[in-house]
Amino acid sequence: MAEEMAMAESGRSRRKFVKTQGRKKSNKKTKGRPSPHEQKKVKIDQKMKKLFRKRAREYNSDDEEDEATVTAASETRLLPSITNKRPSITNKIIEEDNIESEDQSGDEGAAGPLKKSNKNATDVNNHSSDDEGEDESEIQPGITKFTEGCRAFKMAFRNVMKKSIPDDMLGPILSAHKKLVIEKLGEEEAERKIKGEAKKEKQTLAEKGHVKPATYLDSHDKFLISVATKGVVKLFNAVNKAQTAQKGLNPSRIKEAKEIRKRTKKAFFSELGKPSLPSIGATTKVTEGTDDQQPAWAPLRDNYMLTSSKLKDWDKMPDKNVSDDMGRASEDSSSDED
Amino acid sequence: MRKNKPGFRKPFVMKKLKQPQEQPTVDPVTGKKIPKSFVFSRGKIPANLKQLQMDLRKLMLPYTALSLREKKRNNLRDFLNVAGPLGVTHFFILSKTATSPYLRVATTPQGPTLTFKIHDYSLAADIARSQLHPRCPKDLFKNSALIVLSGFVSGELPLRLTTNMFQNIFPTIDVKTIKLSTCQRIVLLNYNKDTKLIDFRHYSIRLQPIGVSRRLRKLVQSHQVPDLRNLQDVSDFVTKAGYGSESEADEEAATVTLSSDIGRVNRASTKSAVKLQEVGPRMTLQLVKIEKGLCSGEVLFSEYGKTGGKEEGDDEMQGEEDAEGDKEEESEDEDEDEDEELD
Repeated sequence: MAEEMAMAESGRSRRKFVKTQGRKKSNKKTKGRPSPHEQKKVKIDQKMKKLFRKRAREYNSDDEEDEATVTAASETRLLPSITNKRPSITNKIIEEDNIESEDQSGDEGAAGPLKKSNKNATDVNNHSSDDEGEDESEIQPGITKFTEGCRAFKMAFRNVMKKSIPDDMLGPILSAHKKLVIEKLGEEEAERKIKGEAKKEKQTLAEKGHVKPATYLDSHDKFLISVATKGVVKLFNAVNKAQTAQKGLNPSRIKEAKEIRKRTKKAFFSELGKPSLPSIGATTKVTEGTDDQQPAWAPLRDNYMLTSSKLKDWDKMPDKNVSDDMGRASEDSSSDED
Repeated sequence: MRKNKPGFRKPFVMKKLKQPQEQPTVDPVTGKKIPKSFVFSRGKIPANLKQLQMDLRKLMLPYTALSLREKKRNNLRDFLNVAGPLGVTHFFILSKTATSPYLRVATTPQGPTLTFKIHDYSLAADIARSQLHPRCPKDLFKNSALIVLSGFVSGELPLRLTTNMFQNIFPTIDVKTIKLSTCQRIVLLNYNKDTKLIDFRHYSIRLQPIGVSRRLRKLVQSHQVPDLRNLQDVSDFVTKAGYGSESEADEEAATVTLSSDIGRVNRASTKSAVKLQEVGPRMTLQLVKIEKGLCSGEVLFSEYGKTGGKEEGDDEMQGEEDAEGDKEEESEDEDEDEDEELD
């Protein structure tokens, strides 16, 4: 109980202290703007320093960037190490900040001193012996106010954003892992390359022989088309001859049917055998030429459905018909249709 | 309550499945056997070769299995077993080795097998893409194509066999009875003596009346009201010459007198110009080998000289059954042999 009471007492007394100090400051303030020298007179004792450091450590255990913020805010000692990298920028910022904070903090100058730059930090120890009594009260404001923390964070963030990162393919990573990551990425790259090559090879193999035709007709294709056209014309003419011959006669009457057969035969042979038009040859398998002795209706013929017998010894005795046609085809080097 | 209602039950009607119309195996007019074909592939082939296979099927169309499915474990014998009852007479077998794709054309059940090396090929899609106005009338594939063989010189056995084979692949036509409107496509095989390559082309046939201005032709064809804004008088539409035909000189050779009407424009006993436009796959083939059996048997011809005598001996020793069973392996072996030879 007694202890508690004492604690309470001390707390109250402290509060009083703060108040008194505040009043003091305000008094000072009324006199004029506080000079930086006065604010340097801040003493941080070892205990509190340790505490802050610990807090800072805890706070920024997960991020590099935050370290800068916190240290900037609470631990002035760490500042030089960070700001050294870019003294020109950070120092300026910090100084600006100091001025601003001084402007803004107004009465509560107590927080101000902790926001000081390197110089202040070095001075702190020197001044520590000066006013022991006041220090007790001065320490507490060492915990940064929210607004100032914000500012510090802002500053640090700006810092980070300003940092020009080397155009590495890796981007920013923790240096410890850099080697590993590079290795891994390199490996992956190599793998991908190999895979891609294999795929490409496969693709070319699959595409072998595949030719995209040109949009125009080259001479060879023109020639081929003309050959094919010749063939079609020949066939159509032959068909025309054969079919016009039987026009006008009724095939159902026996007499006329005979007449038709005669005519068509004549017409067809005249078409086929014309020496002046050798190109007409080679309508190879046109049925009409061969089966004049046999019944017209296919099933009555002797060789009905037996045509496949030809297939059995197709190589020994190619039938005469074909070879004939071949002979004719050779003349004009074009044989047509079937 | 409703459930228990007695007496009324919807009668079960067996629905007759619509049978696909069976194709005749024999030509009704000429009585000749209609050749039918299977187009399939052996081994793993890349996507564009699959497309080529599809194009070839379309080329063979009315008498082929357009949606033939093949599985990895199907061997040649399976196809052969199916081919009998279906009346399939020809096989087109696509395969691929490291050096190039191959096309084998075989007669079933024990016909010669011609092996062609496909030097280069273009798909129907490629050709359509290369054309300004690709043409594909809807009944283009309803009738089988005509075939034109050109440049095949007689005398040499392999060439004779090739011509014989290809002539038998497409149904015979009867000059007396054929309708010209069914002649829509043409397959051209052109043999080049010097290079020993065969050009394989597929064209669609188009007939255009001669002596009719383009405008009138279009008017008759499309049946649409023409644009007369730029004309002073209606008669101008008829009398004013449109664009001159681009190939007047060529047309002289390619004119045909028709015996019957084809379409609305081409009337009987008028002159029409024959125009061909390429449609289908385009291939450059080289005859590499001829075997006596179906992908097996004695090698009658080989581009690279006789293959080892051992192979022939083996084939002769084996019965037919064995030969069929081993076809897969043999054909693969042979492919490899060819590759070695090529290298």
